[in-house]
Amino acid sequence: MFMLNATFAQEKKGKTETAVIQTSAECGDCKDRIEGGLNYTKGVVFAELDLETKKVTVKYNTKKITLQQVKEKINAIGYDADEMKAKPEAVQKLPACCQPGGMRKQ
Amino acid sequence: MLTTLVNAQMKGIVMGMTGVKREPIIGAKLKLLGSREGTQTGEDGKFELVLPKQLPDTLVISAVGFAPDTVIVNRSDRFISLDITLFAEKLLPEIVIEMRRKTHAISRLKTLQVEELTSGELRKAACCNLSESFETNASVDVNITDAVSGAKKIQMMGIDGVYTQIQMENIPYLRGLESSFGLNSISGTWIESIQITKGTGNVVNGYESMAGLVNLELKKPTEMERFYANAYANIFGRVEANFNAGHILNERWSTGWLAHTSGMFGDMDNNGDGFRDIPMGNNLAFLNRWSYQGKKMESQFGFNTYLDRKYGGQVGYDRNLDEGKYGVEIDSRHIDVFAKTGFFMKKPYNSIGVVYNFKYQTFDAKFGIRNFKGEEKRGYVNAIFDGILGTTDHKIKVGLSNVYVDILQHMDSLSSDRVEFVPGTFAEYAYTGMRMSAVLGARVDYHNLFGFQFSPRLHTKYTLTEYTDLRFTAGKGWRVPNYMIDNISLLASSREWIMLNELKPEISWNMGGSIVQELTLFKQKGSWSADFYHTLFENQLIVDREGGLTMFSNQEGGSYSNAFQTELTISPKRNWELRFAYKFLDVKAKYGGMSQQQVMIPRHRGFFNTGYITRNKRWEYDLTVSVFGESRLPGISPTDGVYYSEVYPMVNAQITHVFKKWDFYLGGENLTNYKQKDPIIDAANPFGSKFDATEIWGPVMGINVYAGVRYAIKRKK
Repeated sequence: MFMLNATFAQEKKGKTETAVIQTSAECGDCKDRIEGGLNYTKGVVFAELDLETKKVTVKYNTKKITLQQVKEKINAIGYDADEMKAKPEAVQKLPACCQPGGMRKQ
Repeated sequence: MLTTLVNAQMKGIVMGMTGVKREPIIGAKLKLLGSREGTQTGEDGKFELVLPKQLPDTLVISAVGFAPDTVIVNRSDRFISLDITLFAEKLLPEIVIEMRRKTHAISRLKTLQVEELTSGELRKAACCNLSESFETNASVDVNITDAVSGAKKIQMMGIDGVYTQIQMENIPYLRGLESSFGLNSISGTWIESIQITKGTGNVVNGYESMAGLVNLELKKPTEMERFYANAYANIFGRVEANFNAGHILNERWSTGWLAHTSGMFGDMDNNGDGFRDIPMGNNLAFLNRWSYQGKKMESQFGFNTYLDRKYGGQVGYDRNLDEGKYGVEIDSRHIDVFAKTGFFMKKPYNSIGVVYNFKYQTFDAKFGIRNFKGEEKRGYVNAIFDGILGTTDHKIKVGLSNVYVDILQHMDSLSSDRVEFVPGTFAEYAYTGMRMSAVLGARVDYHNLFGFQFSPRLHTKYTLTEYTDLRFTAGKGWRVPNYMIDNISLLASSREWIMLNELKPEISWNMGGSIVQELTLFKQKGSWSADFYHTLFENQLIVDREGGLTMFSNQEGGSYSNAFQTELTISPKRNWELRFAYKFLDVKAKYGGMSQQQVMIPRHRGFFNTGYITRNKRWEYDLTVSVFGESRLPGISPTDGVYYSEVYPMVNAQITHVFKKWDFYLGGENLTNYKQKDPIIDAANPFGSKFDATEIWGPVMGINVYAGVRYAIKRKK
């Protein structure tokens, strides 16, 4: 479910790669949480979540952070990242609408 | 330019029901299950959503703490507005589905032309107080009124700020003795948002909005940061500190503190005329309010104090030493107590609100050998009944108000003291239809000195297409002028003051219209607007500065303003916005016996603002360029000819770096370092007959560089 789109040394000396990761985001609040969490993480150049596809585009510096660590960070915020499942204790802390299926609950 | 008309736009409001209370939900999520389009509600719980081509679709509405709800959206819902009520989860464990499908007035589509400056916009100009908050905006101008006191005044449509009603959360504010220096008393960090209404406002909040209405929403105890601090310093020697704190005590009670202090310690004389470019001094402002939200009523009360001392004039002037230097001293203080109570009635949508405000204020000023003393006591009560006629399509507001003002003003040998009682009553009817909406209001006030005044007002809006709104407004406003304090800056001159007539109320009629067009350019949203307003004074207290005197006289007819403004906002890329504006001002009255443009009002003004936020949202860049055209200067004698000021630019820029809790900002003002040459006439002889520090049309200070830091502990949702 994920594509890896490597852009080697285009601008800076540090190697940056761009990954598109499928998340379990539900709503705009989730977008803020995921983007907020990742954008303040060392090594992440930027993170943008598309609410329509729930995919987050992460550009990161490979010397400072690995794709694995990016996904772990998303799990720690409370969301699935591709095949890696969210941390249950983090999910519990999310507001109701951000819980899995929160937007469909009726 | 215009995207296909097949896409229909839907608007609405999401309200939350917790027990008895029904209030807008901010940040409620809306999502169409089929098209996966979604949005969130903004302030006031309102939203706008573009409907997809495939309809019907299911709209899911959810918000924290509330049971989610769904509604089927059809093609016939184009232009329609939804009024959605969600029920608190804890209140009703079972999911309740109750839909009220009714039209509703919408933020973007308010019947009145309202421009909203949100906290994001206010961040663009880091400094300092309310006067700077309008820097990134073209509708409101902020002008320096003299070269010695540092006073700043706003203008709308080229008309002095005293004709624009400023209100703090719907309480008339900054009036009377505060009309000249009041903007300094409110710190920018206190403000959550500002709403600028062009033309006469609603009748509900009084009769004084003649050219416009500016409402300030302060940070709310329940939503503001738990703790917020801001520190600022600039190269002129100005430092500022702000502290805000909000506490939620329990489910019903909350409180907020807002504190501000600043000091100007630099003895700055950049243009070498022997005068301080801005006065030294310090101020202290404090506001505390309490909020109670109960089942049947809610209440807010608090107080606000302000203390300001400024000393300007010739460099080295010391108020304690008498060395024969020209000194300027401003001493201003006020204490303000306010309360608001709202009662919900058994019938839904019906409520009664009462607003109280008491203020005591003193203002003393000294310009060389000229002295002003002012004292004001003010009381204000406004009671409003809010209800609907059948459905929410027809809303009414009726109420009673009473204003008490006891104002003393003494200057040189002139004095102007009066006690005012102004009881009034008002009614307003608001209709919201599919495409057309209207607000029709009128108020009658009885002034103990000037008798009855009737003020009708009309505001209409027509939705031409889903991307185009047309608005029209007409209405009357009036006020009783305080010619001394309103023009206190003109004391910084040797010109003698002459009051030719008895004081009379100033009365104006304002009418105007606007068009707002939403666009899609570069695949991003943009907008274009144009508006034109004509303000005609039935009577205006004219300040005639022609011919070496400062003359005040009532001018019945012949005084008007025509203001045209057009603005284009585009976004070439996500996170990057460009805004262009142009304004034309034709503001005339009889001066020196001839109909002439008012002095110090540029006929043409250009404005450009651009803001860019990096993709990771950690860097914010902002640049504002304003160009001010020629403005007419007062003639020395009637046969002297006409003098004009120079065309000049004003360039401001700011960079902000955002961390999780910290923000750092660095900015510059007047980056082209443009200064008005010799702003003070005959600065060498401040007590001579030619001295004049009031012919100010441009910046007195050169380039300014500032830096600051913000720290915030946000409230978790």
